[in-house]
Amino acid sequence: MSEAFRPAHYGTNAARIIRDEPTMRTAVTEATRSKDERRQAAWAEIDADAWRDWARDLKTHVLTHLADYLEEAEDRLIENGVHVHWAETAEDACRTVTRIADGRGVRRVVKAKSMLTEEVGLNAHLEAGGLEVRETDLGEFIIQLLDEPPSHIVGPSLHRSLDDCRRLFHERFGTPPDATPETLAATARRVLRDDFLRADMGVSGANFLAADTGTLALIENEGNIRISTSVPPVHVALVGIEKLVPTFEDLSGMIQLTARSATGQPIGNYTSLIQGPRRPGERDGPEEVHVVLVDNGRSRLLADDHAWETLRCVRCGSCLNICPVYRQTGGHAYGWAYSGPIGAILAPGLLGLEESMPLPYASSLCGACAEVCPVRIPIPELLVYWRERAAEEGLAPRTETAAMKAWATLAEHPGAFGAAAEAIRVLPRGKAGRALPVLRGWVEERAAPEPSGERFLDTWNRREDR
Amino acid sequence: MSPRNRILGHVRAATATRPEAPHPGRFDGTYATDDDRTPVERFSDLFTTSGGEIERFEDVEAAARWLARYADDYDGVTVGATVPTALRPALPSTCPDLAPLGVTLAAAAIAETGSLVLDARDGRRTQLLAPTHVVFVKARDIHSTLVDALSDLRGDLPSAIGLHSGPSKSADIGQILVRGVHGPGRIVAAILGEHPDELRGGRHG
Repeated sequence: MSEAFRPAHYGTNAARIIRDEPTMRTAVTEATRSKDERRQAAWAEIDADAWRDWARDLKTHVLTHLADYLEEAEDRLIENGVHVHWAETAEDACRTVTRIADGRGVRRVVKAKSMLTEEVGLNAHLEAGGLEVRETDLGEFIIQLLDEPPSHIVGPSLHRSLDDCRRLFHERFGTPPDATPETLAATARRVLRDDFLRADMGVSGANFLAADTGTLALIENEGNIRISTSVPPVHVALVGIEKLVPTFEDLSGMIQLTARSATGQPIGNYTSLIQGPRRPGERDGPEEVHVVLVDNGRSRLLADDHAWETLRCVRCGSCLNICPVYRQTGGHAYGWAYSGPIGAILAPGLLGLEESMPLPYASSLCGACAEVCPVRIPIPELLVYWRERAAEEGLAPRTETAAMKAWATLAEHPGAFGAAAEAIRVLPRGKAGRALPVLRGWVEERAAPEPSGERFLDTWNRREDR
Repeated sequence: MSPRNRILGHVRAATATRPEAPHPGRFDGTYATDDDRTPVERFSDLFTTSGGEIERFEDVEAAARWLARYADDYDGVTVGATVPTALRPALPSTCPDLAPLGVTLAAAAIAETGSLVLDARDGRRTQLLAPTHVVFVKARDIHSTLVDALSDLRGDLPSAIGLHSGPSKSADIGQILVRGVHGPGRIVAAILGEHPDELRGGRHG
């Protein structure tokens, strides 16, 4: 990952992807359309509105009483024999994992897919410490080989075509250049099976943490999460503090709604419910389980009276799948682990607004994301909220600031306003749009807006029925 | 102050003035209220839709006869700790990472999601590492909904539960679906029907 992988470079990165990697746009658009169709079909089988209300209310309840639930979860985890750690920052989270690894003499780590570990940059940290880190989710495995960040919350490699994968596996593992997907998957299975059996530690995230039983819930389809959390002698789970649900039974609704939204399934083919390390009488399972509760900006976001609702997010990727802006580029343009509409409102919350610019502007505000969010996060409203904050803090794009200033000046001076309006009217027909600086890009591919031949007031005054 | 207390302090301060938001109550997800299928039928339909296979047997003897034939295609097996003697195939016992076949007993199943409930006490490697997985489940242990199953399980939780609802699969290579990526590519739910009391060995025996 290069220095250019930052939100600040959104514009240049998006332009580069669209210009230089046209197949990526096709791959992303096709994959997200199909994911969204599957979500629609899965929602049609349920009373989706009622489920979404329930999920919104549950997460709002948890976030309103979060400290109490965190303490309850900690008590249960400790009773279950789990080591509990707290990390205030990304750096703290990474150092905690390193400390656990050092304590056990760990050399080889297998990783289940976890967006939180992407957020805190865990792999780079562990590798810098001399550990061998292997991503085991097939999509994560592919992008790790390519040295790329994930392009999508759920499908990290969905920007890569079958041909991209064939080339990669041919170079790395000597598979035939025209290998079938089955052959490629079998190759990955063979390579990774060996890693699972040799690993000293498995690292995962968690979709949910049930406070009253201390249960970690993880959803997947490949089985790599179950194996990563079952076979190595140590399991470390990084859990964002917003992942709590009050009860074991509450997992039922959250697991099903997340699966239906993310992949259109009633449930993932594998769901893990983990209570702790191997118990007396069990033949296998990890000897040690550690849970690292990570803040990294979440408590600050929780304190924001508008944007706290962002923390309801279950990372299903529905808003990415439907977003017409995300579909053009995939996730890499956003320059951060989380992309698409949710990334654009999480970034200012977790990274700070200045570091996140211009992501709140990477949207046409079409509103589709709000229609598909299973926990009803008002994403478009929050995009506007962060834009307002950017304007207040002098971070808004210069063109927007200049245009708003010019408009304000005109609106406050009726003489100048009239003169400007007259100027637009007298320009030759069809050229008016092209003469306007902001509209030029728009009208290059479309019919320019036609100015009326007369003032609105004159039209009004001529009406016969007034 | 410890990181723990600082985080909890920040969280408490952040939510101090938030309006009260009550818990919405037990999840009532029964979406197909006019569904006249039995739990066994609903489970079977969803399990096959997601790529799993279903076998049904009236009693343990019938299941054992089927298993003897099924095992003919394999040269070794790893068997779960709770599988009763009658349902252990006559094959050499192999360690789970080398076994071509895994045979386990589910603690329960869920009609609503088409899931088998696999208990760590049966052996996690046995449930995960063989390319083919045969899971016995008693018809009377099939719950209607996930929330019912969780309520039933909470009193006696093992270190881990796996809800297995189909074969291992992935579409990460060019969005094309492939099976058997890490876990078993074939999974058979063998449902023991009318005379479940004949199943000896006990749930965790």
